[in-house]
Amino acid sequence: MAPFYKYGFFGDEMSLVLAFVLGTGFGFFLERAGFGSARKLAAQFYLYDMSVFKVMFTAIVTAMLGVTYLGWLGWLDLSLVYLVPTHLVPQIVGGLVLGVGFVVGGYCPGTSVASLATGRIDGFVYAFGIGAGTLAYAEVFPWIKGFVNSNELGQVTLPEVFDLPWGLVVFAVVLIAVAGFSAATLVERRFGDKA
Amino acid sequence: MKLPALTLNQRLAAVAVALGALALFSVPHRGPVVSLDTRELALIVEKEVDHVTPSELAAWIVQGRSDYRLIDLRTASDYAAYHIPTAENVTVAALPEFPFLRNEKIVLYSDGGIHAAQAWMLMQAQGYRAVYTVLGGLEGWKDDVLYPALPAQASAAERARFERAATLSRFFGGEPRAEGGVAAPIPMELPKLAAPMPSGAVSPVAPRKKKKEGC
Repeated sequence: MAPFYKYGFFGDEMSLVLAFVLGTGFGFFLERAGFGSARKLAAQFYLYDMSVFKVMFTAIVTAMLGVTYLGWLGWLDLSLVYLVPTHLVPQIVGGLVLGVGFVVGGYCPGTSVASLATGRIDGFVYAFGIGAGTLAYAEVFPWIKGFVNSNELGQVTLPEVFDLPWGLVVFAVVLIAVAGFSAATLVERRFGDKA
Repeated sequence: MKLPALTLNQRLAAVAVALGALALFSVPHRGPVVSLDTRELALIVEKEVDHVTPSELAAWIVQGRSDYRLIDLRTASDYAAYHIPTAENVTVAALPEFPFLRNEKIVLYSDGGIHAAQAWMLMQAQGYRAVYTVLGGLEGWKDDVLYPALPAQASAAERARFERAATLSRFFGGEPRAEGGVAAPIPMELPKLAAPMPSGAVSPVAPRKKKKEGC
């Protein structure tokens, strides 16, 4: 039965080892998708290469279907899977800050590490910026703590928020993804020539 | 008429749509019918890893730990008369419907140990794994925490342990009993709960004002 950690199949040390293995795998596939290059990532915002959208949405759909079927088979207890608690307004603000950083720097936190691992200097600078930013955030945290913790919705999922059956949301997300992929391909054709 | 050849991406998309459509009928969350691993449960019971001693619980409360939920399984009136600080009242009948999270650490207690143990089994059947019972229930809490006794001819180590227990006891509004469990001559101050008198007589002392919860 999964989650393995919550059911005590391994302890803290092993979970760190597994996190390292999974993280390395994540970085490898980011690099294979071309996301170790800021050019590829920035292309997303100029709309002539929608790889970021496609790869990320593929990952979401794959994981969602996997989790749904594992739960259905009784192999995964979904109520034990940790969800980051939702703080709607602070997370929208945080998302915008991250988005601005993504456009300006050409990386998101994960891809910057993949880029660093392949020896790119901009990736190194970006990763350094993440460290500095994290330190700065920790320093100002006492002043913004009230805002960060505001708007608490708890560990919520879309089926709970919209009061819809789980399966219906899964199917809807798959359809949205397929529609999104088709649209993305059209967008690439429209803007691709300007590359 | 032959269908046009699909690209790999289109085939993958078709698979995803098919799986998504099938998922419409899925019930990914656990239903009310479960199977239990009786051998695993028997091992847990035998190794007594499902217990929290009253002293451990007292220490958690003093430390203000919030990584567990303490559940009082007795009736609402019993709960109103006295309960261990920080406890929530959920009767056994209400337990199956109570919205616990499956990974929450849940500590159950009743008067003795039987109701708590039965409730523990119910919780296991519902797939809650981190469920514990207070060893001895409320009786154990009274004996070990509220009214700890110093054994006659106690060794130095026992005396030291008693001193620590006495501090805890006063914190929770109890009264340590010195020398062989004989009640002190002064009337005991009770935290709204009859003390376990050695003679069996019930102390008529008016209960002290209930301690504020949460400490």
